[in-house]
Amino acid sequence: MNQPLAGFAPAPVTARMENHGNHMLKVALQTGNDLLARVGSMVAYEGFIQYEPNPPAVRQIARDWATGEGAPLMKCSGDGLLYLADYGADVVVINLNGDGISVNATNLLAFDAHLSWGVERVKGLAKFAGQGLWNTRISGQGWVALTSRGTPIVVDCGGGEDETYVDPDALVAWSPNLKVKGKRSFKAQSLIGRGSGEAYQMAFSGQGIVVVQPSEDSTDRLRVRG
Amino acid sequence: MAREFQRGHKARISDLTLGTDLYVGVQISAPGLTFDISCFGLDADERLSDDRYFVFFNQPKSPEESIQLLGAQAGDTESFRVTLDRIPSQIRKLSFTATIDGAGQMSQIAPGYLRIVAGGEEVARYSFDGSEFSTERAVMLGDFYFKDGWRFAAVGQGFDGGLEALLKNFGGEVAEEEAPAAPQQPQQPQPGAVPGFAPPAQATPPAFAAPPAQATPQPAPAPQPAPAPAPQPAPQGFAPPPGHTPPPAPAPAPNVHVAPTVVAPLTPPGGTVPPPAAPVTPAPTAPAPYGQPPQQPSYGGRPSAPMPPGYGQQPAPYGAGQPAPPMPPGYAQAPGRPAAYEVPQGAPQGGAGVTAALQAFKETPTGQRWTQQNKTLVRVDLGIGGQPVLARQGSMVLYQGKVDFGYKGAGFMGRVVGNATGQEMQLMRCSGQGQVFLAENSAHLHPVELQGDAICVSAENVLAFDESLSYEVRRVEGHGIPGGALFTMQFQGTGTIVVKTHGTPVVLPVTPTTFADCNAVVAWSAGSQVIVSSQVRMRRNAYPGDTGESVNLQFRGAPGNFIVVQPYEV
Repeated sequence: MNQPLAGFAPAPVTARMENHGNHMLKVALQTGNDLLARVGSMVAYEGFIQYEPNPPAVRQIARDWATGEGAPLMKCSGDGLLYLADYGADVVVINLNGDGISVNATNLLAFDAHLSWGVERVKGLAKFAGQGLWNTRISGQGWVALTSRGTPIVVDCGGGEDETYVDPDALVAWSPNLKVKGKRSFKAQSLIGRGSGEAYQMAFSGQGIVVVQPSEDSTDRLRVRG
Repeated sequence: MAREFQRGHKARISDLTLGTDLYVGVQISAPGLTFDISCFGLDADERLSDDRYFVFFNQPKSPEESIQLLGAQAGDTESFRVTLDRIPSQIRKLSFTATIDGAGQMSQIAPGYLRIVAGGEEVARYSFDGSEFSTERAVMLGDFYFKDGWRFAAVGQGFDGGLEALLKNFGGEVAEEEAPAAPQQPQQPQPGAVPGFAPPAQATPPAFAAPPAQATPQPAPAPQPAPAPAPQPAPQGFAPPPGHTPPPAPAPAPNVHVAPTVVAPLTPPGGTVPPPAAPVTPAPTAPAPYGQPPQQPSYGGRPSAPMPPGYGQQPAPYGAGQPAPPMPPGYAQAPGRPAAYEVPQGAPQGGAGVTAALQAFKETPTGQRWTQQNKTLVRVDLGIGGQPVLARQGSMVLYQGKVDFGYKGAGFMGRVVGNATGQEMQLMRCSGQGQVFLAENSAHLHPVELQGDAICVSAENVLAFDESLSYEVRRVEGHGIPGGALFTMQFQGTGTIVVKTHGTPVVLPVTPTTFADCNAVVAWSAGSQVIVSSQVRMRRNAYPGDTGESVNLQFRGAPGNFIVVQPYEV
């Protein structure tokens, strides 16, 4: 009975964070090496793992989180294998090697607790985009997992004079050294219902990369469910 | 995915891709050096008999534009567009070369590659790095050559003399310059190690330049216990507590093997206890707790006999020679599975760092107007072709350059017709110079190039199209269709239309018996005739219930017509 399903058994662990398929993240947890993950993202675990929602350390860093209702992060500690997913979104695992990345709130799945991180608000944009665009800047030596609705694309900003403009709903992550500013491209006519549908963009300039998902679905499903 | 080539490998291009419009990208760099990358179009005698086919920065294309220099893009130091079927018959070989501009030698270069991209997908990659070269100042990276069709060869041959020597080699008198100064022992170009994209000089962490021990878990011949992660933990910052130390650095592996207390799946250094479900195996034999409460099962340590297959090159499992203890039945069926939770701390395949992790999702380059980036994203380069693109409103996810997004109205009649038929499109006009990335709701996208022919697409399955295409609403009549008739948009002209589907579609050739559900059909070539077929069977009325599949569209047409059906019924 199990044969057709046997192909989906977990592969041997070769790293702290790995993909299991495209849509699931597998984390090997160890005592003393905790993980911060989105609340509600756990789909399975094996071993002895404890979860602490909204731990004090997180509250401290994220006290000015835009929503004001506490950080949607939980601390996972213990020993075992932890499986995380976000409603079928693609999961991208990144091993930070001293570099950093800025991740859009809804696209962050999990990261090592020892990484240095902070919450910042994207200037000039938060008041337009309904979801309150705060992002998490993470750097250090360790692992980060992002989610993306559909296979993401990574674009080099190139450092040229032309800026790279991104639909904020499709934005996943970017290099923290990029300069970000909001851009309103609407003209008068778009206010009377004849817009191109692309009224607000974020403009990036400098040397670095921008990660974009092929979908404008930016609803935070983990939060919507509550 | 891309096929990895190593020095000396050859392949037919038709085996790599059916396309003949190829993008060739070369990435080569070294600190402080600049490179000239050029393409020599050679005749059957491997001579540069026509120097108009020496394509380099001063002569960016061949006379009939079959070879074009595109410049640096998408992480490539230099890129070319090669249209194989337009290459004149006297040119039988294209040799891609890199020469160092100024002083320097090839042994200094960072890992680089030559890659072939067709249809937005990388089909071949030849990776190389400085360890394959010594004092050369020029290198022939790869060849396209004609022998019963075009083929590609990864060459990787260096020349001490630089560009002059290369020219001389192709020029005539000295055809015997073949003797390569390059070391002949085939040093593997380390497929995985190459970071590939991204300017390695500044952006990528130095880890790449480091010996493979750190950058990649290369299947090294030496019996190292793990992807050489062991040295990593400390700097990585999440070293496990000293108590349960992971296995020592690669070298001291023997001490694990000789450890007398080994009982098969458990190694002393750390893994004291079996997984929770494993009731039997002997914690007692393991050496006393390594600085951890004895009763607490630890998953942190290194496992244990069944090493992951990835490390299969290891000479023998730690417990070799000893009878394996009875595995708990629950684990018996998964032999390759580690019995304990191990946390190798090493960098992943391909290296550490953000750029390495995201390499798989890198932008694919071409010199074409429409490029499929992945299944769900297309890029349109407005600068090529110079005409605006009409796209569904809100489908832009990213753009670079000076692009203007404007409202595209359907006009009064258009709106009346659109409202009446449901074939209304909310469009925006993208004009200007730059690249626009289009996607919607991670639907699969399919750029279809029309050359004077026509295609019928349901309006909700249109993502974007060139403004040069004309479109009109067409009506398919028939009984039994909800609403009385079916409407589609017919696109005609010369240009590209991007069709989107939910999921992977099926493209069926039109045969005398081709039917499709009118809710799932996405598009069909306009040459085929559509007939609504209602399955009228006496028996249907004899039973209660309906299959729900009674109204179908039948397609008829000459061979060559096709229909596209998605696995999603709107």
